[in-house]
Amino acid sequence: MNAPTDPKLLERSAALQGLGDSRLRKEDARFIQGKGNYVDDIKMPGMLHMDIVRSPLAHARIKRIDKSEALKIPGVIAVLTADDLKPLKLHWMPTLAGDVAAVLADEKVHFQMQEVAVVIAEDRYAAADGVEAVIVEYEELPVLIDPHKALLPDAPVLREDLAGKTEGAHGKRDHHNHIFTWDAGDKAAADAVFASAPVTLKEHIFYPRVHPCPLETCGCVASFDPVRGELVTYITSQAPHVVRTVVSLLSGLPESKIRIVSPDIGGGFGNKVGIYPGYVCAIVASIVLGKPVKWIEDRIENISSTAFARDYHMDGEIAATADGKILGLRVNVLADHGAFDACADPTKYPAGMFHICSGSYDIPAAYCSVKGVYTNKAPGGVAYRCSFRVTEAVYVIERLVDILAQKLGMDKAEIRAKNFIRKEQFPYTSAFGFEYDSGDYQTALDKVLHACDYKGLRAEQAQKRADPAAKTLMGIGLATFTEVVGAGPSKMCDILGVGMFDSCEIRIHPTGSAIARMGTITQGQGHQTTYAQIIATELGIPSEVIQVEEGDTSTAPYGLGTYGSRSTPVAGAAIALAARKIHAKARKIAAHLLEVGENDLDWEIDRFKVKGDDAKFKTMKDISWAAYNQPPPGLEPGLEAVHYYDPPNFTFPFGIYLCVVDIDRGTGETKVRRFYALDDCGTRINPMIIEGQIHGGLTEGYAVAMGQQMPFDAQGNLLGNTLMDYFLPTFVETPHWETDHTVTPSPHHPIGAKGVAESPHVGSIPTFTSAVVDAFAHLGVKHMVMPHSAYRVWQQLKASGVAL
Amino acid sequence: MEVKLEKRYPLDVDAARAWLVLRDVKAVAECMPGAAITEQVDATHFKGSVKVKVGPANAAFAGDIEVLGLDETTHTLQLLGKGADRGGSSASMNLAATVEPGDTAGTSVLVGVAEVVVNGKFAQFGGRLMVQVSDMLLAQFADNFRAAAAALPGPQVAVAPAAAESAPAAAAVKAAPPPAKVNEINGLAIMWTLIKGWFAGLFGKRA
Repeated sequence: MNAPTDPKLLERSAALQGLGDSRLRKEDARFIQGKGNYVDDIKMPGMLHMDIVRSPLAHARIKRIDKSEALKIPGVIAVLTADDLKPLKLHWMPTLAGDVAAVLADEKVHFQMQEVAVVIAEDRYAAADGVEAVIVEYEELPVLIDPHKALLPDAPVLREDLAGKTEGAHGKRDHHNHIFTWDAGDKAAADAVFASAPVTLKEHIFYPRVHPCPLETCGCVASFDPVRGELVTYITSQAPHVVRTVVSLLSGLPESKIRIVSPDIGGGFGNKVGIYPGYVCAIVASIVLGKPVKWIEDRIENISSTAFARDYHMDGEIAATADGKILGLRVNVLADHGAFDACADPTKYPAGMFHICSGSYDIPAAYCSVKGVYTNKAPGGVAYRCSFRVTEAVYVIERLVDILAQKLGMDKAEIRAKNFIRKEQFPYTSAFGFEYDSGDYQTALDKVLHACDYKGLRAEQAQKRADPAAKTLMGIGLATFTEVVGAGPSKMCDILGVGMFDSCEIRIHPTGSAIARMGTITQGQGHQTTYAQIIATELGIPSEVIQVEEGDTSTAPYGLGTYGSRSTPVAGAAIALAARKIHAKARKIAAHLLEVGENDLDWEIDRFKVKGDDAKFKTMKDISWAAYNQPPPGLEPGLEAVHYYDPPNFTFPFGIYLCVVDIDRGTGETKVRRFYALDDCGTRINPMIIEGQIHGGLTEGYAVAMGQQMPFDAQGNLLGNTLMDYFLPTFVETPHWETDHTVTPSPHHPIGAKGVAESPHVGSIPTFTSAVVDAFAHLGVKHMVMPHSAYRVWQQLKASGVAL
Repeated sequence: MEVKLEKRYPLDVDAARAWLVLRDVKAVAECMPGAAITEQVDATHFKGSVKVKVGPANAAFAGDIEVLGLDETTHTLQLLGKGADRGGSSASMNLAATVEPGDTAGTSVLVGVAEVVVNGKFAQFGGRLMVQVSDMLLAQFADNFRAAAAALPGPQVAVAPAAAESAPAAAAVKAAPPPAKVNEINGLAIMWTLIKGWFAGLFGKRA
């Protein structure tokens, strides 16, 4: 759309608060007044409460469960174990990854804090007392924590339920703890390059197990009405429609009698994609007891048992010419999936989009393989603020490029520029087969290097390094990443057989206001604000009078939900195209009202006007009224449309991040002096919300890089499942962020938007590692394992002989 | 979480009396802060309990103790204890405790080698304090143990260990319960010891 220059037109355009307007978030009015409506705010008459008996052991056989003491506690109504779920065939459930997971431990526990029994009581306190009174006797079994030992011939057998199964959901299983081996790219081509390349290097890059840790934990209120045979469940879900389908498949209730509602959600970050035993048990309890049942996780339960992320042990190799042109890439991954394969990925991709690991670079030959194994840890493997496994992929390639630069004595900006996919190469097909839609990496890199005075920083660093009395080590980190988001084209992507399209339904009311209902669900992204802006620009209706509703499966059209930065690329396109259907009908009505042909009309911001006659026009408001009382002959009344959008391709947002750190040689503390983030997410819908998203993503990236981890001891105890141990940065720790942007629209997206919320997380983590390692680069250090906590960095200071 | 402990506590009590206490599991349990034998199943099997309180966190372990060996010649007791707490923790301890003669006639050394495995919430919350808390616990134990041994009649009237199918010894122990026994592990005291230890470490380092 051409930008108007006439002040009157500008005024009319601004009044719409459409694309590009930093309108304030519509959600905030209720949140800042404490009027949000989260799952735990929902109270129903006669509601019961559920609490979970969990295993203190990581691997053990259950010898006996004694409920009798628990049932004597006043207020305790029922105690359910796997044996109670067996007749309903609900003691195991299918996972999104084609495996099964125990709902309640069936004969064995496979990880610490696994769900063993549930207690349903009249109040939350009685439920907790009941949990303490359930006696479970265990026989300890050998524990498998190290994934590198999972495939040894004498490794403990974890999944006895899979005994004799040599075929998994993703091909052959060759060991009792083997889940799948998946690969992409051309192995022979890559091997050939490596055999003849002048320079090759190999590095083990470990991406530790972390947890998304949203402020609101998981939970639900399940309410089954035995008279009407209807189930309503309020649930913390990033994908309510998928939950409805799964609940229908598991329970046998028709999908039409199930209503799943995701109310306000306090952050998801991938933690709220899966279906958890707590949900299933609450629903079963409600169906059995005929009363509403509430289950809300506490923080320890959240970190311990629902949806970890990462845990990728990556062996990366890169082949190059002596002057730094990358010729080939090989990555072999050992993926620790925990006790059940419950990764949330498109069904055909057990390692998600890991094959984006060729990054922003034009690499002729590439190959990757991922081997998933079982261990005695909680299941999960979700995309923590990223598209499926993209964070891992970006981390491995950005680390390898840094290490290559170091090996060749090149500058890390220079080696990147040398290997970028150039602007004129788009659309570009990578060695792994992705078709990158658009990009202009060099322009963005130049902008960042200039803004930060990169040369000046390097000069300052050289000076510092020359001074043996300097109290700090200075490091400069750089990452130039490309993401793949917006899953996805249904020819490639589905979840349990449902294509990963998304949907929108728009209704224009007679007086010209509108409601849009979506298949996605906001968890803080600000959909109510930004979706309205798309409609405002498409239809000339002020954002202020457009209501956006999501999350209620009884009213919203079917959609796959919000994760993997898919809301804008997929649902955002559905909105634009639904609006365009309405626009086409509005043109017919306007032509009828103005008694001219459709082709005699021009669209201008909020109205159709007769070509060459500014005085003859009909505004969208006029047209809305007419749609309900004098539609053209032969045209049905009303003004609404539904669109299901199946994207033709993914979108590929990118960014260039630069970070400067100063490391205290005495304490190992890393101070982030400067962090400059340039993002290109294509068309920008609401710059203020984008900035907020980037601040949030950078802060979560900082958390992962500098402190978050889930350490296990040899017995499988998770030593770090409270916020006393698990790092959640507050204002005190969070660095100052500087943001910038370029705009390279996606050519295949109706409004050119690519999605942004996850880029800062994906891009910042390798930037932090790059900066911390750079501080030690002159001492020969190539790589350091995250998180870069003060203690670990101090250990490196000692090892490098530079600790004060 | 697994911790290996090796401790030596010099006692100002002769080895014969110290062994009289050590060879009696009930008496040993009495010396442990917060611990008690609740039932004797047979000659070598007991049921017992241990209460621990650290700040707001309570744990009451109930479990089984098995005497694996009682060596009268080397003065060694070997036992295996396993217990669970209803709040979601479990623990086991494999202990070998020996009374060695001291440098002088009236002294001895209590030597303990233990492998302690803790699982569940206790490992998760208390993991990083395990060694310090164990140190303090065992120091209190050693004090109580010394007091119990010292309360026995002196060497000149002691029942010869060889004579023991040891009702008299046990009776002697019962007759003279250890004075001022700390009944429960006290969270505040543990904190205080830790803080003291931390400061001592700081100054020690500078010195």
